[in-house]
Amino acid sequence: MPLHLQPVQVATGSLDRESLLVFSDGFLVAVLVRLSDDHGEATGMWFLEAGFGRVDHPDPPTFAGLDEAQSWVEKRLESRR
Amino acid sequence: MPSAPNQHATAMLIRKLESIATLTDEQRQAILSLPVRLHTLAARQDIVRDGDKPSHCCLILDGWAYRYKLLSDGRRQIFSFHIPGDVPDLQSLHVHTIDHSLATLTKATVAFIPHESLQDLTLRHPGLGTLFWRDTLIDAAIFRAWMVGLGRRSAFEQVAHLFCELYLKLQAVGLAGHYRCPLPLTQIDIADALGMTNVHVNRVLKEMRGQALITLRSQTLVIEAWDELLRVAEFDPTYLHLERRAA
Repeated sequence: MPLHLQPVQVATGSLDRESLLVFSDGFLVAVLVRLSDDHGEATGMWFLEAGFGRVDHPDPPTFAGLDEAQSWVEKRLESRR
Repeated sequence: MPSAPNQHATAMLIRKLESIATLTDEQRQAILSLPVRLHTLAARQDIVRDGDKPSHCCLILDGWAYRYKLLSDGRRQIFSFHIPGDVPDLQSLHVHTIDHSLATLTKATVAFIPHESLQDLTLRHPGLGTLFWRDTLIDAAIFRAWMVGLGRRSAFEQVAHLFCELYLKLQAVGLAGHYRCPLPLTQIDIADALGMTNVHVNRVLKEMRGQALITLRSQTLVIEAWDELLRVAEFDPTYLHLERRAA
């Protein structure tokens, strides 16, 4: 099941606003936020701001690009924990 | 290199112990005569590893250290940060297998004190045994404070609490003053200690700067608004049990 991405602005309390809601099978499974210029080397990378169910993670990762982020989310959705 | 008394080294231990208790001249002399072996270590080097059975305790003379545990996929939880005068593995005197790791955070000089010398010291000076016990109890109190932070405080409150704690610990041994202290931690270190991500720590630090609570430059923390930082953190220094602060 391919992921569906929907652009959105997230109030993170920082300059990190540009975001994507990530849906799988009609369900919201993650919120990815693009890191702003405040983050030095990580600027432009995508951060798992929130994950739901299997996509939830105690140490939310940062991804170099959207493909990597989506692969990770898909892998989590397929995982059995 | 054999162990030998080194008064410069053991004076650091005295300074630390005097921040939490009063020592007699006799106790001070006994500590000064402890044999030690000095080592200079690079930054980010393990001193004691999970599972080791060390035969000595490690007194930090210069630099910072931290205790941590790694999960199988490399995720790291930092339990504590340590500064000169601390003996982070004092428990190895009585709990023989170390159940976590101790590493340098910065380049550091440490003094290894043989367990048998420390045991002999506490037998001859039961008051010092009590004092070491007190130090490990305070260590446990700090763990409880961190547990409250990890479980119940917001990211902003946790960072504020950590800064208050580190400042007071450094001040107690004469390594900080005028609301300014060294802070050789990376954002990743702070994140791994407080159970956050680097991203969250970065946001919190920016917000703290924006509110003129702190400035952080060249590994120096300046607390611009101490009372406000205490209030935000709900910081009550009782758990540090500091008897006296260094001048």
